[in-house]
Amino acid sequence: MLYRVIDASELPALVSAFMESYEVVAPVKSERGYVFEAVSSPDEIELSYDTTVSSPKKYLLPPVETLMTFDARDNRVTDFAAEITPRVIFGAHACDINAINRLDLVFRDGRYPDPYYTARRNATLVVGIGCTPSDTCFCHLWDADEARFGYDLFLHDLGDKYLVSISSVEAANILEAACDPRVATDEDRIEFRHATRRRQAAFNPAIPDVQDVAMLMDAFHKDPYWEELGGRCLACTACSAVCPTCFCFDIRDTLDPSGKTGRRERVWDACTAPQFAEVAGGHNFRADGRTRVRHRMYHKLNGFLANHDRMLCVGCGRCVKACKAKINPIEVLEFFERKGAEDAR
Amino acid sequence: MSGTCIACQEGPSAPRVVVAGLASCFGCQLQITNGEAHLMDVLGQIDVRYWQLASSDPMPDEFDVAVIEGAVTTEESERTVRMLRERAATLIAIGACATTAGIPGMAAERFMERPGQVYDRVPDACGAMIAPRPVSAVVDVDFEVRSCPIDTLDFVDVLQRALYGSNKQFATKTMCGDCKRNETSCFYGAQTLCLGLVTTAGCGAKCVNLGRPCNGCRGLSPDANLASAREAVARYGVPVEEFDRALQMFNQVNPALAASE
Repeated sequence: MLYRVIDASELPALVSAFMESYEVVAPVKSERGYVFEAVSSPDEIELSYDTTVSSPKKYLLPPVETLMTFDARDNRVTDFAAEITPRVIFGAHACDINAINRLDLVFRDGRYPDPYYTARRNATLVVGIGCTPSDTCFCHLWDADEARFGYDLFLHDLGDKYLVSISSVEAANILEAACDPRVATDEDRIEFRHATRRRQAAFNPAIPDVQDVAMLMDAFHKDPYWEELGGRCLACTACSAVCPTCFCFDIRDTLDPSGKTGRRERVWDACTAPQFAEVAGGHNFRADGRTRVRHRMYHKLNGFLANHDRMLCVGCGRCVKACKAKINPIEVLEFFERKGAEDAR
Repeated sequence: MSGTCIACQEGPSAPRVVVAGLASCFGCQLQITNGEAHLMDVLGQIDVRYWQLASSDPMPDEFDVAVIEGAVTTEESERTVRMLRERAATLIAIGACATTAGIPGMAAERFMERPGQVYDRVPDACGAMIAPRPVSAVVDVDFEVRSCPIDTLDFVDVLQRALYGSNKQFATKTMCGDCKRNETSCFYGAQTLCLGLVTTAGCGAKCVNLGRPCNGCRGLSPDANLASAREAVARYGVPVEEFDRALQMFNQVNPALAASE
């Protein structure tokens, strides 16, 4: 890894340089929160945002995307080229970069790479920004509070300057041309270390750290707790819509109003949607909130770990805010914290 | 009905469609005509045999698809619905009135007393009144197009599903996921009542996108969790009575609402 330092005042020049060849998407203020949106000026960007409603996942896996168009009359595929916009996701927090790394595992690095995802991912640069955890953040529990790869540049905020981790030539060239990056000094490194310690100390201590949660979940799969938690599910799928790692989708054919032509679309789906596990013949093997919410939590905190050696949850806290029924991983951690305390008695 | 070959749609036997209006404002029928850009394309796939909005020709005895707008509020309309069900292979209910009893349903409670509150002498022009109910409370409904009013393209989509079949599922999830996909701020964050918590999704949260809370016109989802929603409403500082009162607008005759209280 290569490190350089730039002045905070140089940041607009960096954004503008990216904007010359890329669409720049970044956090902007929207109503009572923040969202990632395409910006037309560096001034629109709010890098001190706490979190965004939804995650940058939408740029790699759009909520609705056309996989191909067809002519229904002769059952012929007419086109299957996705339009790819070269893009910079500017100002992603470490949790979201770690989330993209997980999506990469699923869609890009597996035996059958998804061509739509991979094309978008390859045309996307990621510029990370350091952050201070808010009271719903628990990324540190899943080792997702630092991004070790998956970005092109990562900006560590040191007040009036940024320590920049550089991990791609493409982004390094733009940084070099737009700013006046200098070699990091011992003093810069000391400041970085202090900033890191401050971040690590800022996490909400009320969120329990249950590192063996996956193992405990194996033991308590039939616990009545899952009815208590899942029984209050509102079946709205807000959790997976805001989740940076939820990647389940449905594929459907949509006819044009003429009925003659149409398109095959991939749309976000969610294991908390009532019809998610409905199969041919009409049987639904997760027909209630208990089984659906339990399934979701097991995928996040148990199953993905077994297959990919990391949690599918990155602790971004978005579902904590989005779920009106208070169903989220923190609740699960609190349950197992209580369970552990009971067992120890 | 489902299974008509798309490739043969220009053949001589387009599905025969009738459109019937019951107690409603006719706005949903108008919404069909509002799809000007696609109207000829859509009408080209069917053979419209009866549509009061367009022609005063009487309803024929035989047809394949019946589209019903409006709530059932009279014995006559109840008979009409049963007749349509008997004759049509496919029955499509459109709009909040037909799918939830909608606006007429707002008066369902003590319905028989209401005409006397308005008229000194109750005219019998409307026919023999019965308490408002959705079409599905009278006969089996094959397809529903929800919302007040319906979305034109949503209607076209459902009509095509009825004509040709489809691999699309009819989702019963509630609205909040759509707001998250739209990334609009939740009204509950501003202590403002919104019925999206329990309302069937599918409109894309249009009202919220325009800055207004959901008024529930798509009706309660069969998967609505009213008990949990009431807890959430209270937790966010909105009076639960307000939530319950607002639900009366489009769900008063829904047995699930009564059962949850």
